[in-house]
Amino acid sequence: MERFSLLLIQSYEAVKAFKLRTFFCLVSVALGISAITIIVAATEGAYKKAFDIVASFGPDSVMLMGGSEESRAIGQREKTITLDDVEAIRQAFPTAYVVTPSSWVGTATVSYKGNRYQSQIVGSSSDYSIAWTWPVVEGSDFTEDDIRRYANVGIIGQETARELFGEQSPVGKFVQIRNLPVQIVGVLSERGTSPGGGSLDNRIIMPYTTVMKKLLNEQRYVNAMRLRFTDLENIDGRVEELKRLLRYRHRIPDGQPDDFRIFTSKDIVKFLVALTGSLVVFIGVVGVISLIVAGFVLANLFLLSVKERVKEIGIRRSVGARKKDILAQFLTEAVMITSAGGVVGFLLGVVSAQLLTYVAEFPVYFSWKAFVIGLVLSWAVGIGFGLHPARQAANLKPIEAIRT
Amino acid sequence: MSDPVCLMENITKSFHVGDQDLHVLKGVNLRIEQGEFTAIMGTSGSGKSTLMNLMGCLDVPTSGRFLLAGRDVMQLNDDELSELRNEHIGFVFQSFYLLPYATVLENVLVPTLYREKKKDRVRERAVELLTLVGLEERMKFRPTQLSGGEQQRVAICRALINDPELLLADEPTGQLDSRTAEEIMGVLTRTNERGKTVVVITHDADIAAYARRVIHIRDGIIKE
Repeated sequence: MERFSLLLIQSYEAVKAFKLRTFFCLVSVALGISAITIIVAATEGAYKKAFDIVASFGPDSVMLMGGSEESRAIGQREKTITLDDVEAIRQAFPTAYVVTPSSWVGTATVSYKGNRYQSQIVGSSSDYSIAWTWPVVEGSDFTEDDIRRYANVGIIGQETARELFGEQSPVGKFVQIRNLPVQIVGVLSERGTSPGGGSLDNRIIMPYTTVMKKLLNEQRYVNAMRLRFTDLENIDGRVEELKRLLRYRHRIPDGQPDDFRIFTSKDIVKFLVALTGSLVVFIGVVGVISLIVAGFVLANLFLLSVKERVKEIGIRRSVGARKKDILAQFLTEAVMITSAGGVVGFLLGVVSAQLLTYVAEFPVYFSWKAFVIGLVLSWAVGIGFGLHPARQAANLKPIEAIRT
Repeated sequence: MSDPVCLMENITKSFHVGDQDLHVLKGVNLRIEQGEFTAIMGTSGSGKSTLMNLMGCLDVPTSGRFLLAGRDVMQLNDDELSELRNEHIGFVFQSFYLLPYATVLENVLVPTLYREKKKDRVRERAVELLTLVGLEERMKFRPTQLSGGEQQRVAICRALINDPELLLADEPTGQLDSRTAEEIMGVLTRTNERGKTVVVITHDADIAAYARRVIHIRDGIIKE
């Protein structure tokens, strides 16, 4: 192995000696690799996020929202789903182990002893933590009984709890929502951010009956509902049945669009992939182009370098280097430089991806995979574009090289 | 008597220049035995550089019979010629030809990079050789930090690292002052005294005087 290590040492000396060549090749490869690194990290991040979301949303879950696709586009959400619909659906789907209406107040000021905070208020049935796979970590969920009696109770998200109560336990205490005193009976676990970027932990969940009657003054309509099915394998069929049932109940004639929307975990993944996809394509094109440019920079600088080092090649040939030895030397130098470029590019990619996540909500996830892909690509550039100059060097006639 | 290190019989070498053939060597006969110290003298244009390139297997003859270290050079391909140079020939050039970015020790080790039959302890051997020429303190230096004489001594160490049959020196003192030239010729003489076959190509009669045998080349023909 002494010989191989000597080859490495001598290549390293050459890489060090021809600083300008090394610098330009390294920078151009690093730029390309950093773009590739971001793509890999973004793709992995999107998949990981999608996986997380599917896991927390629940693959067996279906979300039903009032209002047509068109009304959503212009920023409205019509209420089209009634409590009667909810009851009918409960009757019609015996395999739905969760049927939860959802009634949204939007943002409201919540206060506790002079602390005030803007928080999302949501009305739900008593199985909220089961419906959303969102455990109550302290206290408990409110009950069926609370629903029936229009009780002024609620469970609170981590962020809201922190802002209003600090280190104290909120359980058993009363907060003021608009003018309504509400007793906190439970605290939800930390949930993080939604795919859209908002915090999920700033909310208070109350019985939908209480919300509709005392905060919204609403008799019939809810905003949305959520279902979970025990027969996960039939979920596509269930979604179709749900659609037909609602169209029939809402008396929508054939050819007219739905006045509601249905989401499954598949739709959420689609949304996320679309969100990340366009950026990935853009950076991908930039990355591939800059890698190709890096390759041409390398090829040109190495051709120049071969011309500069004709004498060295002559010396090496005269002391017994074969053509393939010269080829190996120049390729080793090229791969050494591009590998360094790959490592620098990876670090650059990590830094710029962090910046990207600040500017845009953009999930990135770095793993050894991104690093390995970057490194292998940098080798490919080194070998691919270093081959032509290395061949030129190897094919020099020893006698002509040494006499220059 | 053992085989000669170098045997040339009726060697010719022609170059195509434009549409003309230029006959540089016109039938050279030369036999160099093991352990000889030979000088080949000639003026520029006499064909001595061409002869040196052929002897060093950097180029092949146009016709004739050429054995080097017992191998028929005319039959060898490019890789085999490289191997022959690597194992059997050590070069010392007029302008030293060291690698500027490598250290003295690394320069001496360059030929071992290309050696097929691996030898143990090459590093120790390089240190030994450098000590013999008084450069043990300079091993980590770069060539540019050395004087011309010191650089040529490094080149001689490099030529000897693979223990070749033939040490081929092309105007080894051409860029040195006369005092340094004496030193270098002293090193070559001692190398010969340790049993190495040495051939020096020169135009300088004072340098040729170190050799025990002097061969003159003129117009592509050898005259002893």
